[in-house]
Amino acid sequence: MTNEQLLVETLVALADTLVDDYDVIDFMQTLAERSVELLDVAAAGIMLSDANGHLSHAACSSEQMRLVELFELQLEEGPCFDAFRLQASVRAATGEETARRWPRFAEHAREGGFVAVSAVPLRLRGVAVGALNLFSEEDEALSDDDLRVVQAMADIATIGILQERLIRDQNVLTTQLESALQSRVVIEQAKGVVAERNRIDVDEAFRLIRTYSRSSNRRLGDVAREIIAGNSDFFVANPPRREKTDNASS
Amino acid sequence: MAMTKPTLDPARVARVSTALDDQGADAEHSLCVACANVAQVSGAGVVLIMHGRALGTVCCSDEIAETVEDVQFTLGEGPCIDAFDTRRPVFIPDLAAADVVRWAGFREGALAAGIRAAFGFPILVGPVCIGALNLYRDRAGDLSDEQIADAEVLAHVAGRIVMGWQSVAGAGSLARQLEQVPANRAVVHQATGMISVQASVSVDDAVALLRAYAFATNRAAHDVAADVVDRALRFG
Repeated sequence: MTNEQLLVETLVALADTLVDDYDVIDFMQTLAERSVELLDVAAAGIMLSDANGHLSHAACSSEQMRLVELFELQLEEGPCFDAFRLQASVRAATGEETARRWPRFAEHAREGGFVAVSAVPLRLRGVAVGALNLFSEEDEALSDDDLRVVQAMADIATIGILQERLIRDQNVLTTQLESALQSRVVIEQAKGVVAERNRIDVDEAFRLIRTYSRSSNRRLGDVAREIIAGNSDFFVANPPRREKTDNASS
Repeated sequence: MAMTKPTLDPARVARVSTALDDQGADAEHSLCVACANVAQVSGAGVVLIMHGRALGTVCCSDEIAETVEDVQFTLGEGPCIDAFDTRRPVFIPDLAAADVVRWAGFREGALAAGIRAAFGFPILVGPVCIGALNLYRDRAGDLSDEQIADAEVLAHVAGRIVMGWQSVAGAGSLARQLEQVPANRAVVHQATGMISVQASVSVDDAVALLRAYAFATNRAAHDVAADVVDRALRFG
């Protein structure tokens, strides 16, 4: 039985998180808790996958140890694992069915008082990011209507997760780009510093910098930064010249 | 964490992306020519700026655009700088308009280079602004609403293209297509290093000295830098 008003509030709350800065874990937590309130189940939890497709526990409707363990178990077997892999919802209406399909998982679930279980994938257009798992203390499966409701909530959650990952990846990439460009800038600046201090041309300066960074096994950009900051051993190895000389020997 | 900017209409993005593809915009030397053509303006430039530091030009559609980019770099002012700072488009529809007080230096240099209007659009990649798309025109006049909407999409797509190039390079490497970004300014950076030693100042101050000298002598920063590297000019 779903409470319509609570459902609407939940969907609005989930959609709201898509426009503001938000915390993915907090978001998952809300989803787990609301699922329990809306669907008359005993407990719920979410597993999310990493870049290698391995699931790990992300959030639970309660901190109960037994419940948490039930997720930690599901790395290779269980309703979450199936829902994630198949990108389809799974339902086991009775304790017996649960035991038949996922024997090791069912044993632990029973100890926690859970018998029937369901899981829906968190997926969008063929990309799966995890699964939402629901536990019941009764021998009763989730109805088709309830399953639709929980899949709708999972779908909104998935959009949020994918968006947050995209932004995180973009930030990593823009930082890499800036860093790569900055390195080139400092290397050119260091060439100028060495050319001036050692009274050589910039190409010779670059050869000296490159030789030094190779022999000290350090990156060009790092050596360049130190040369510019004035705290490099480079000039110990390549002393600056005080007067102009006619030959170019170092 | 908006999903897409409200002004980026997916149909427009699709149309502009296709138009850019048709123009061969995936290569660094043709990206700006393609942008200028799609926006129906005389010239375009794409510059990368991050954390307030102008990191260089990705491309310029022609020599005039190159000169105008150099003016912005020399002076540290212009539509691309403002577009980056404010993260909003900047419009200078008539560089010669007497009632405009802003960008006095840029306007003078841009007019001398042969353009009459300049527009800057920030390039946003997610929450980060990585630079700006500059559009130039050889005649005065506003961009139409359609051109403005297209230009915002062009900036967005140019950003995606640049990040696409970088995503293939390894961490710590610079994308092959972006090699000319620092290379084009290599002489300026080398001169900066030399000036910092000659004048006993930090490199940031050295950049300021070089720019100030270029401005005072009405020369491009690049030309002054070349003189420094050739040892025809010293700062101390």
